[in-house]
Amino acid sequence: MFSFDPYSPVVDADPFPFYKILRDEFPCFWSNEAQMWILSRYADIVAAGNDWETYSSAKGNLMTELPGRAGATLGTTDPPRHDRLRGLIQQAFMKRNMETLSEPIRNIAREAAAGLRGKKQFEFIGEFSSKFTVRVLFAVLGLPLGDEQTVRDKAVLMVQSDAKTRAKGPEHIAAYNWMQDYAAKVIAERRANPTNDLISQFSMAEIDGDKLDEREVLLTTSTLIMAGIESLGGFMSMFACNMADFADARRQCVANPALLADAMEESLRFNTSAQRFRRCLQKDVELHGQTMRAGDFVCMAYGSGNRDERQFPNPDLYDITRKPRGHLGFGGGVHACLGTAIARLSVKVAFDELHKVIPEYRRVHDQLDWMPSSTFRSPMRLELAAL
Amino acid sequence: MPNITYIEPSGQSVTLSLPVGWNLMQGATANGVDGILGECGGSCACATCHCYVDASRLGELPPPSEGELAMLANVSSERRPNSRLACQIKVSDALDGLVVTLPPTQE
Repeated sequence: MFSFDPYSPVVDADPFPFYKILRDEFPCFWSNEAQMWILSRYADIVAAGNDWETYSSAKGNLMTELPGRAGATLGTTDPPRHDRLRGLIQQAFMKRNMETLSEPIRNIAREAAAGLRGKKQFEFIGEFSSKFTVRVLFAVLGLPLGDEQTVRDKAVLMVQSDAKTRAKGPEHIAAYNWMQDYAAKVIAERRANPTNDLISQFSMAEIDGDKLDEREVLLTTSTLIMAGIESLGGFMSMFACNMADFADARRQCVANPALLADAMEESLRFNTSAQRFRRCLQKDVELHGQTMRAGDFVCMAYGSGNRDERQFPNPDLYDITRKPRGHLGFGGGVHACLGTAIARLSVKVAFDELHKVIPEYRRVHDQLDWMPSSTFRSPMRLELAAL
Repeated sequence: MPNITYIEPSGQSVTLSLPVGWNLMQGATANGVDGILGECGGSCACATCHCYVDASRLGELPPPSEGELAMLANVSSERRPNSRLACQIKVSDALDGLVVTLPPTQE
């Protein structure tokens, strides 16, 4: 009998054959292992994402939610409060407000890439992407340098889950608590000495005359740090895998770096690190002959919707000429990723600079060690050989 | 499903039957309509799904939220009284036959 276990290392390694069966045979599937429904077709995921009154985020959006987080972050709040919270920080993340960051980000990328010069083999995550993402995040949020490596390690750990217990383990909870303590220190410091940065503004913002709830400030700041490091890093390592595996596409991007934008969009469609997010039903829903009950959790498998042949012809092909608008690599609807503009800018600049130092590379290992996470998918380590 | 007609910057007109509840940006990007980007994914955060709504039917739409009005200040083509962001307009039966014109540029 078919089963789908988002905690299984087999699914971490290659979810796509499972998704194909889900889409074709069980488009509305109850996963016993995850204790939730799985939606896998593009149109169903888009429809669920749009209908926030039915598919609520208020009970959490991560497949395996962290304690006390639901209801206190952008991703775990429904409109109208969500829209007001988002309005407070949205402007800072708009594309045109990123332009001033372009040069600092390029300098960070150049420095990180310079460290790889002359190497025959390197571990992409440890030696390049994690150095880059942490410094970009610290620059954007104006965080004091010094403990970047610890912040990075905790951000990566807090999104993981235990494959055996299908829950967060003590080490994941400890990382989450560490991140909250870290965020609390930064917030306190900014309130004492406000600058023109996002955290200063956000930590003192009001909605309808009320100060934001302290838990909202704390957990939203923690989430921004987690996303800026872990999610941006996941995007980069998946893109690096694709650039390593598809040499023709990479060579085209090296010859004409403007093509990096198209190659990245296709990467977000082909194997986004944001594979699965969840919602909670507010009423009974009939779909594909199944009845999902109010209170049930529902997984929106973005990674599957992006491979849905009903939406994307020849979906298992990585094709940089595809220009896959409407892909679910950043989610969609009111909860679509806040950081799309900075993510696109950062990754494009990072690979442009990487390719100036190492234009030709391939993967060293066919099999990768994947991060244990029911929500995200990216390798723990990615050894690349310069050619 | 209600029909929505998009007039692309080239003048080409495309009519799509769209599911109720989808927004006009999703309908366009999922079906390859030219002249719309939707870079932010539909969270009213990028102003790259700017459209001009048939002025005679503007009053049938729920009015723009504060967030949409603020974001409309960022559109790259001319902002007109009938300018809206397509991601903020949900398809409904009442909107059947609506025509939206896409501007020459989105960024």
